[in-house]
This record gives sequence, C-alpha cells and structure tokens, in this order.
Amino acid sequence: MGELQTNLELLKVRLVTPDRVLLDATSSAVELPSMSGYLEALYGAAPLLAELGAGEVRLHGGSAGEQVFFVAWGFVEVLPERVTILAEIALHPNEIIPAEVEAELRHGQMLWDQAGDNQERYDEANAVTRVAEEKLASAQRKG
Amino acid sequence: MVSAAKLRRAQERALQARPYAQMLTNVLKSLVRRTDLFNEETGEIMHPLLIEREEKNVLVVVIAGDKGFAGGFNSNIGKASQRFIDGRHAQGQNIDLEPIGKKAIGLYKKRYPAAIYEHKEQLYDNDLAKHIEDIRHRVAPVEVAVEHPALLLKINFEQVSAMATSIIDRYETAEIDSVYLVYNEFKSVISQRVVVEKLLPIRKLGTHEITVLEEMTEEQKEAAAKAAQESGVSIYEPEESVAEQEAKKFGTADVDYIFDQAPERLFRHLMPRYVTTQIFHALLESTAAEHAARMTATDAATKNAGELIDKLSLTMNRVRQAAITKEIIEIVSGAAAL
Repeated sequence: MGELQTNLELLKVRLVTPDRVLLDATSSAVELPSMSGYLEALYGAAPLLAELGAGEVRLHGGSAGEQVFFVAWGFVEVLPERVTILAEIALHPNEIIPAEVEAELRHGQMLWDQAGDNQERYDEANAVTRVAEEKLASAQRKG
Repeated sequence: MVSAAKLRRAQERALQARPYAQMLTNVLKSLVRRTDLFNEETGEIMHPLLIEREEKNVLVVVIAGDKGFAGGFNSNIGKASQRFIDGRHAQGQNIDLEPIGKKAIGLYKKRYPAAIYEHKEQLYDNDLAKHIEDIRHRVAPVEVAVEHPALLLKINFEQVSAMATSIIDRYETAEIDSVYLVYNEFKSVISQRVVVEKLLPIRKLGTHEITVLEEMTEEQKEAAAKAAQESGVSIYEPEESVAEQEAKKFGTADVDYIFDQAPERLFRHLMPRYVTTQIFHALLESTAAEHAARMTATDAATKNAGELIDKLSLTMNRVRQAAITKEIIEIVSGAAAL
C-alpha cells in the first residue's frame, strides 16, 4: 500500500524542445530556473505558468532518477500531478563545450560594445552573456 | 531508396517538432485571454508585431532546395513565387526577397539586384562605445535583401531564430510592412502544395493565413503514390502522437493558473518565438517535400532507365543476330560454291 502511495505521488515530467520531446518520465521533485529565481515543484503543487531563464532543471527520484539539464529560455506549466517544460535550448551538462561557450561570451561582449544608445541591444547583449555564464557554470558543476 | 530514407527522417523530424509549436501557441492564446492587447489610454496595440500598416514594402521569404534532381520541386517554387512577386509589383509595392536554398538564391540573384546597405560607425564622445547604423539605399523595386545559402544544410532552431530576429527588427523599424513565406507545404507523400503564408503582421494566433499557389496534379499524386509504395513509405498523413495530444492540453487546464510573471511581459517575450517557430516549421515541411519529390523523380528515372536498357538490349540482340545470320549465309554460300 505504501509503495502504491509513493507511485501515485510522483509527478509526470515532460521536457520539450523545438526539435523533440527530450524527456518523458516521472519524478518526485523538479527544480526549475524561473525568471524570478529557482522554484521547486512537488506532487500536488498549485497550478502555475512561469517563464524560464537560463539555468538548470534538476530532477530528483522517480523513473527520471537524478538528472540535470541546462535550459535557456522556456516556459513551464506546473499542475498538481504534472510538470511540462518547454525549453528553447536543453542540454545535458556534459554536452556543453567550454570553447564554444567562451566564444558566446565574447559574442555577448561584442554586442555590448556595439549597443550604442539602444537599450534593447544592451538587454540582448546581457541575455547572451547570462546564458553563456550559466552554461559555463553548469558545465563546471558537472566537471 | 536513399531519398525514401531521408524522407522518413525529415517526416519524423517535422512530426517531432509539432509539440513545441503547439505548446507555444497554446500559451500565447491563453495569455491573449488575460492580456489587454490595446493600451486603455492611447488605444495603441501593445505589441509591434500585431500592428498592421499599408503594405508598401513587402518581404518575401522563398524556401527552395539546395540540390536539383527533385522533379518539379524547385521550378514549382520558382514559378509560384515569381507570380506572387509580379502581382505585388504590379500593385506598386516594393519587394525584398530573402531566398533560402541554393536553387532559390541562384534564381533570384540572376533576376534582381542585391540590396545596398551603407554601414556607418561613429564613436561616442566618451570614446568607449560606437553607434552603428546600416542605412538602406533602394535602387530597384525588387531586390534581394538577404541570402541564406547554408540554412538547409542542417536546420537548427538557433540559426532560424537569428534569421527571425533580423526579420522582426526590420518589421519593428518599419523597413518592411508585411512578411510572406513561400514554401512547399507537406502533409503526406501525395498531399503537398506550394503555398504563400502571411507571417507578419500576426492577425490571428495559432492559425496559418495561407493562400495556395499550386496543387499537385492527379498524375503527380499517382506517380508519388507508386514511388512511395515501391520504397515502403506510407502515403497517409501520420497519426497524432501521444506527445502531440498532450501538447494540445498545455496551458489550457481548467484551473486558475498563478502567473510567475505579468502576462503582458510573457506575451512580449513569446511573440518573437512564435514567429521563429512558424519559419522553423515551414523549413522542416519544405525539406520533407523536397525529399518526397526527389524520391518520385528517382523512381521515374529508374523506371525510364530500365525501359531504355530493355530497348537497347533488344536492338543490340537484333543487330548481333543479323550479323551472325549474315556470316552464316556467307559461309554457307561459300561452301555451296566450292
């Protein structure tokens, strides 16, 4: 009975990218990098729609086991029994190539230098730099 | 056979991309219900991609292929897009072309001049930052604005996103007043058509504003069905996957969602992604259609080559037989003369 209860209290988690459904599993807790900070979804959570920033989606327990994905921009829908993550970029930390991230950082710096008096360009440069920094941090944590 | 395998992969990729597109559209629709699209005080539309202007400068994105030997695939796109361009030009509109794929680039480079941009850089007084500006000098009513020769090599969302960002920038600064996509829509091997889709301004979310330029003829459908049958490819539209069915429910549960950020802000961030997804989707469909066209063309060519081989073998055997008969007659005649 106890085991049945445990199975029932697992969240269904689906991670979807523009290319494919990357993950379809169950998990007992999911940590998500929302734009306003990290949030954790557990079974029975209140319905929520949030924009995701750059950071790590961490899954704990269930059929997903302990898994980490780096995501950059997306959306998450949290329902009491289900979490669906829509991510523009989703990578396993070991798929991140530091040399490429360094190039992205330089690109962010270049965008900043060329932003001139355009606030939107500064925002864009900041976004590129932030994604690259988070990506690098994720790769380093794994390493 | 190679085209059939590539077609299967392309079809699968287009299918796998559907849940994301569906989910993004759902969230947008859900946000529209919670957001005021018009400013209460000024009455202005809240997002620049929804603003409709008189169409004076039109951008036409034409998606063709990189390689030939695909039956009428590239020429159909070429003819259909040319008709569309001529029609718009006749109405006095300026056209910017953005061809994708080497065949489309080759076609339009020959016909129309490239757009000229004057690059200006100016250092600010503090000598730390530069003001950069690209000024457009139009010399002809129809010009090739940007080319995308490598986009089809490996279609990836990041590259499409960069392209979409550039289009959105031009739309927001009113360099262009509307954007159209001309491509080959793919439903199944026997259901393809050349369409023109209005990308911007967005009038109704989640719907494709499509005009059909060219349909497949019955003969083409028959040839495609035969080729598909011989290659083991299904002629029917694939069934909806579980992921796709689930994607339709995304953001639409009958509950009061808590919004982590203001719906207006989410809406602003989502709109450019919606445009990117539309282009990405068109590229994947066009690629599947190209492989289907190539599979049919290869099948027809194989059949024609087989018939030609049979015909030539028959002629060869006849000529050989005639030569042998002639030789025997000569030997027999020679022997009789002795």
